[in-house]
Amino acid sequence: MSGPDVAWYLATAAVLFGIGALGVLIRRNTLIVLLSLELMLNAGNLALIALSRHWHNGAGQIFALAVMAIAASEVCVGLGLVVALNRRNLSLDVDTLSELRG
Amino acid sequence: MTGGSWLCLLAPLVGTILILLGGSWIPRIVAAWVATTSVFVAFGGAVWAFFSLRNQTGHHGEITTAWTWLQSGSFKVGLELLVDPLSTMMMLIVSGVGGLIVLYSIGYMDGDEEERRYFAYIAFFVFSMLLLVQGGNLLMLLVGWGLVGLSSYLLIGFWHDRPSAVQAAKKAFVMNAFGDATMALAFFILIAHTNSLSFGVLNAHLSSTQANLVALGLLGGAVAKSAQIPLQTWLPDAMEGPTPVSALIHAATMVTAGVYLIARTHAIFEQARTIELIAAGTGALTLLVAGLIALVQTDIKRVIAYSTMSQIGYMFLGAGVGGYANGMFHLMTHAFFKALLFMTAGLAIHAIANEQDIRKLRGLGRVMPFTKWCFLAGALALVGVPPFAGFFSKDPIIASTLNIGWYGYVFYACGIAGAFLTGLYTFRLWFLVFPGEPSPFVREHYHDHHGREAAWTMLVPVGILAVLATVGGWIQFPPHWEPITHWLAPVAPSLADAVPSSTQETVTSIVTVLVGLAGIAVAWAVYSERRIAIPAAPFWRRLFENKFYFDWLYDRIFYAPSAWLATALRREFEEPVVLQTGPELGDTTLATGSLVRRLQTGLLRTYVLLLAAGAAGVVLAFLIAK
Repeated sequence: MSGPDVAWYLATAAVLFGIGALGVLIRRNTLIVLLSLELMLNAGNLALIALSRHWHNGAGQIFALAVMAIAASEVCVGLGLVVALNRRNLSLDVDTLSELRG
Repeated sequence: MTGGSWLCLLAPLVGTILILLGGSWIPRIVAAWVATTSVFVAFGGAVWAFFSLRNQTGHHGEITTAWTWLQSGSFKVGLELLVDPLSTMMMLIVSGVGGLIVLYSIGYMDGDEEERRYFAYIAFFVFSMLLLVQGGNLLMLLVGWGLVGLSSYLLIGFWHDRPSAVQAAKKAFVMNAFGDATMALAFFILIAHTNSLSFGVLNAHLSSTQANLVALGLLGGAVAKSAQIPLQTWLPDAMEGPTPVSALIHAATMVTAGVYLIARTHAIFEQARTIELIAAGTGALTLLVAGLIALVQTDIKRVIAYSTMSQIGYMFLGAGVGGYANGMFHLMTHAFFKALLFMTAGLAIHAIANEQDIRKLRGLGRVMPFTKWCFLAGALALVGVPPFAGFFSKDPIIASTLNIGWYGYVFYACGIAGAFLTGLYTFRLWFLVFPGEPSPFVREHYHDHHGREAAWTMLVPVGILAVLATVGGWIQFPPHWEPITHWLAPVAPSLADAVPSSTQETVTSIVTVLVGLAGIAVAWAVYSERRIAIPAAPFWRRLFENKFYFDWLYDRIFYAPSAWLATALRREFEEPVVLQTGPELGDTTLATGSLVRRLQTGLLRTYVLLLAAGAAGVVLAFLIAK
């Protein structure tokens, strides 16, 4: 086994996930929120693949592929929503989109 | 043979389904003819079954099984039909008389708003009745029994915008359901002890208590369906239905099912001879009570309805003493002349603005001669004047009571007194309605149908039945000529006790005819143009007019306590408990909701924060737990 220890990969993934989560929490632009979500998903993928290699278990890689497919669909829906919002001349600020409050 | 029976059973069902599927897509007259044709096809099937059975040596009959219907362990019931002498006889009566009455309905119901529904119901009734008489085991019989009750309910309440019709339908249904329940209980006992419901188990040896209970349950069903005391009060009210329904269901077919049941299950009744004699006693009592009530009724259909109860009393008497063929023969002739009487009454009602009060219908014979003569044929058959049908069928029943012991003489006296009452109430009706000058009411309201008394669809069946009421009795004249007794012998042989000697038969015939004629003479003396005043007997009059207070009694015993209980429960339980709890539950839910809704901020970032906090919490919990 060459290359850095699996802990490095996991640390990178954790940092990426933290950045993504922070982005989702503090940014108000819908597009940036979507970008941050992607970051979180890919941080998850990185952790999956790293551990898959570490344990010599292919299941993690398969799982990562599934996550990619889901990420792609999610982006389709998310970007579709952004386009729809834009067409109706609605703000892209997630805080103003609060029609569904109780 | 079995082909005929399946054709007979299924044709009316197919007719019903066609009318139902057709809905408002088919014109009314098409629905009417579909129903009529289907019942006549059923009659064709019955004739087919009859002739193939006649060609079978010994004609014991045959059971045909479509498939196994129910199976539970070793208990098994098939979807079976039985073709035997008894069932073919009933098939012929039900589909033959039924076909004529459905044809008559075409004219009678013409112009009714919901004619299609009527014809769907009536074809369904014929199907149910055929299922009852053709069912190859006791469960199939019970299914037919229940369906017949249902279709009777639907047809009595056919004019559902009349409250009285709806009430009458409910009354009939509840009383019939009581009989269905006692029959079901009897079947449970049979299943528990013999593990079968085929007709054969009735011959199985049961202990005397078991046999008595089973017979009593079956008798309960028979009494409810055939409107015998004490479950008789629904039949007069059932006259709220259209007149052809009264003719078909409440005269010719359904109400006679009790007699069929006794003949079909005679083996169990013979094991429980006491119960069988109770059946005979019930019949004897009913024929007297109904005859007395009929004397004071003023509604033309109710007089005939009480007369039906009385005649079924004769059939119970005949079957109860063991002369099953006598009971069945009277059932057949009664189907002819009673359907005829109802249908002629229907002709009058139809032509005179739906009036049923005999005090207003005086002198009807002058404007409706055909109706008059047909009614006379039916009335003479009912009273049992030779050579009309009732003479041949009623006298053997009365004569057959003579050899069974001292109670036989009581039954005999009841039968003779009943014959007098029959003559009296029948010809009271005749003298009040038909002879003499038409009353102003009749003159004013009589409407003919294109120069005739009614449409041909109504006149033809009445004519055919008038002929049958005249000659229909000639196929049996005991003790010299007994084809029906021989035909039924393989299934329901009469008991030796119930076969009177030749002398008894002759004397009874003479006495019965004389007594019947005496009844007619009294009716003539009293009711034709009021020659003799009716003796004032206020107590008796009140007693008869209140139908021996049966309705009053049932009201006090059954209705009043349950109504009291319902009111008490409403006051003590529903209003304080149920009515308070509901709103309180609602208010609490609303209050909780308005608190919880504040969590729903609509802010995406709040949700994400809560999610993240939750996830962090879970991770933390795992770390600590480790």
